Amino acid sequence: MSDLARVEGEQQGTICLVRVHGEIDLSNAHEVSSEIGFAMGQEARRLVVDLSDITYLDSAGVALLLRLAERLRSRRRELQLVVPRGSPVRRVLDFTGLPRVIPLESRLEDALALGDHALPDDFS
Amino acid sequence: MATREETPKAPPGGLVYAATAHPWSYTASVLLVAVAYYTAAKLGLRLALVGRNITPFWPPTGIAVVAFLVFGRSVWPGVALAAFVVNLPISTSVLPAAATAAGNTLAPLVAATLLAKVGFRREIDRLRDATAIVFVGALLSMSISASVGTGVLVASGALPADELPGSWAVWWAGDAMGVLVVTPFVLSLVLPWRRPGRPRWRHLEAAVLFALTATVSVVAIGADPHLMFLVIPLLGWAAWRFQQRGAAPAALLVVVVASWAAAKGVGPFRTGTMLEKMLTLQAFNATVAFCSFFFAAVVTERMHAHQALERAAAGLEARVRQRTSQLSATNLQLRKEIAEREESERRLRQREGQLAEAQQVAHFGSWEWLIPQNRVSWSDEMYRIHGHVPQEFPVTFETAVDQVSTEDAARIRSNAKDALRRADDHDLPNIEYRITRPDGAERVLLGEAKMYVGPNREPLRMVGTVQDVTEARKAEREHRIAETLQRGLLPDRLPEVPGLALAARYVPAGADIAVGGDWYDVVELPSGHLGLAIGDVAGHGPRAAATMGQLRMALRAYALEEPSPAEVVNRLDRLVSRLLASEIVTLVYLVLDLDSGMVRFANAGHPPPLVVGSGGQTAFLEDGLRSPLGCDDPGLPVEASFRLVPGSTLLLFTDGLVERRGASIDEGLERLAAVATGCGQDIEAFCDQLLCSMVEDDAADDVALLVIRPVPLTGRPLLRVPAEPRVLAPLRQTLRRWLRESDADPHVANDILLACGEVCTNVIQHAYGANEGPLEISLDVRDGTAEVTIRDQGCWRPSSGVHGGHGLPLIQELMESVELSGGPDGTVVRMRRGVSNGSDS
Repeated sequence: MSDLARVEGEQQGTICLVRVHGEIDLSNAHEVSSEIGFAMGQEARRLVVDLSDITYLDSAGVALLLRLAERLRSRRRELQLVVPRGSPVRRVLDFTGLPRVIPLESRLEDALALGDHALPDDFS
Repeated sequence: MATREETPKAPPGGLVYAATAHPWSYTASVLLVAVAYYTAAKLGLRLALVGRNITPFWPPTGIAVVAFLVFGRSVWPGVALAAFVVNLPISTSVLPAAATAAGNTLAPLVAATLLAKVGFRREIDRLRDATAIVFVGALLSMSISASVGTGVLVASGALPADELPGSWAVWWAGDAMGVLVVTPFVLSLVLPWRRPGRPRWRHLEAAVLFALTATVSVVAIGADPHLMFLVIPLLGWAAWRFQQRGAAPAALLVVVVASWAAAKGVGPFRTGTMLEKMLTLQAFNATVAFCSFFFAAVVTERMHAHQALERAAAGLEARVRQRTSQLSATNLQLRKEIAEREESERRLRQREGQLAEAQQVAHFGSWEWLIPQNRVSWSDEMYRIHGHVPQEFPVTFETAVDQVSTEDAARIRSNAKDALRRADDHDLPNIEYRITRPDGAERVLLGEAKMYVGPNREPLRMVGTVQDVTEARKAEREHRIAETLQRGLLPDRLPEVPGLALAARYVPAGADIAVGGDWYDVVELPSGHLGLAIGDVAGHGPRAAATMGQLRMALRAYALEEPSPAEVVNRLDRLVSRLLASEIVTLVYLVLDLDSGMVRFANAGHPPPLVVGSGGQTAFLEDGLRSPLGCDDPGLPVEASFRLVPGSTLLLFTDGLVERRGASIDEGLERLAAVATGCGQDIEAFCDQLLCSMVEDDAADDVALLVIRPVPLTGRPLLRVPAEPRVLAPLRQTLRRWLRESDADPHVANDILLACGEVCTNVIQHAYGANEGPLEISLDVRDGTAEVTIRDQGCWRPSSGVHGGHGLPLIQELMESVELSGGPDGTVVRMRRGVSNGSDS
């Protein structure tokens, strides 16, 4: 893929951790979305997307995250975002009210520590 | 008084002053003549020898002759009147006076008439003029006045009859002397002064001469009669030096002195009878008059003759000179023509000798077809062109076209048939055709032919030439292909990158090979960075150009995928080694981060790029070097980096720029660095200056140049890009740089960047639907406030889907003011935000 954004996926039990580096805009939102999809294994119940290394994200990126959350939800998977305080991305997400829809942590450890109980297997 | 007769044959009475022009001037002339005559008569009478009215020297006759010569014979009343007035007191009564006056008038009138008849010239510059005035004007004519005058004296009883011969002689001599002495003198006074600027010493000489003449005359004639003839040499002097103008006054002077001596009875006239005195005086006077006259006339004539001779000689000389130069020019031309003729003959002989050789060298054959005999003769080279040993077999029309391809043979036959039908000498249309040699090789030939007919317009013979143009056609085709390739392979134009000045040049080697393997490229990468490449495929021609084209595309493809220059070069190396074997390619590939000015680069055996600092300091980028592509040398990816600071210039070039016959590459690089030091503000001019001072006219290698210089984004940059998602990242690069250079607070810069990103995304998504259209962004910072205006030429459609719709509220949150105005011509969004953190909300 191009060097505008880079996606690295990592499986930690039922948690899939995806780190996205670089910038997300209209030109690569779809691509980043697909990459994240590829990175996530079948057995993963929860997807943690770490946006700490994102330097630019606009409403195209917000839309990407919302679509991603919706898709996961339809497959009964959970999406959790990691965005540090003070990150330029945080302001966009806060303004669009995204944290009300997608759980958002400031620190990766907190997100991972939540475990995968939020959506039990038998929950339907 | 300038009038003179132009021809000896003057019109009758035509002493041109014929005073008929004006009654007043005529009257004036008559009066003038009368007064002159009267005065001269009064003077003459003082010298009377016989009684009161017979003088040995009678000036009035001379005056009268001059008057008739100058004013014309119509002034005779003046003469008649004056003569009557003069004679009246000295005659017995009125009648004798009138008769004498009539005689005195008639004599000069006859003299003037006769002189005109014999073609007398008033200048008396010829011997015949002197003769005429002596014999016709004086001696002959004056017998009239003498006869009339003495006749009247005798008849009136004033003179005893026995004295008649003596008196007649005195009268006659006096009148004749009057004419001989006075006429030339007065005429010399009224002569036109043809040479006014006489030297002063001439005047002195004249004065001395006259003083001497006067002295000698008076002394000799008055004192010592033996010295009387001393005046003759003086008269000769006067005539010789001053001609008539000197001789006439001198003669007059001498005659007056002599006459005065005779009248007074002094000197030689002291003793003897009157007749003796008279004879002596007249003999002396006649001698004086004749001498002065003839001498002057002869001298004048000789002078004229001499001048005429000189003129003729000068004219002749000029003609000779002219003719000589004409002759020598003709001679030169002739010699040149002869030399040229010899040269062309020599060349012709040489050419004949060379023709056979030339035919062979140029693959140029000739043939002749004797039509009635159907016999064809081929030159040796014709056989060779057709793949045969010279003169191997006899040729006919049929065997000649035997080797020609079927369709071309048909054309040749048809051309020949048309030519045979046309019954005149003419050129056949040129024809290009293919033949197959016995060994199977195919050749392309160009034939030219000419038809000759006989006296009865019957076809006689056809001659022609055949040229083997196989190689030429092949070369032409290759050249055309290569040119097309080259044109298609170099970038049409360089991209417009905000904050960056770019210039490029490509100069093909020499004039005959318009294509080479050099290339350059500028690629806008998805990251917003700029890929810069310059490379050189060894060799020229279509093959090098084709390889270059493939490499250029491969580099673009790899560059779009791979951010690392070293990796891009590595991949190209693999491509060249495996797919384009046997090609050697050198290349430098650089990736420029416009935001930071950082350049990462890899160099595959190419001359090092040159960086010229803002102060003219130069440095070659010699790191990041690996072996050329295609060398089968799998080294580790090598990459180097440097920072291209604002104001400095990056120069990429191919070796053609620094190579020169007889000089090493290092010398070339040194020369380049020296020239590049003078790099000015205008990089286009810099390119031209480089080519001008570095590349020789007949350069052996191609030259490609790419010059890059970051320029400040300050001021009011205007960015115009297509409304496509791929422009977003480069736009952010530019905006970041602009915001940094505008000293914007980092947080504020992020907000502005985001707001712009939102607006641009909106334009890209909604303004043009499925169509393409432009996106225009203008930036301005004034009084600490950044203003961004984004325009499009479409109309914003309502956002669709549940995930859109964040754009506008977010923008309003990020910026201090947002104005949105839409119309049929497009939408304009104008946003403002203070650039310092203090104004952050």
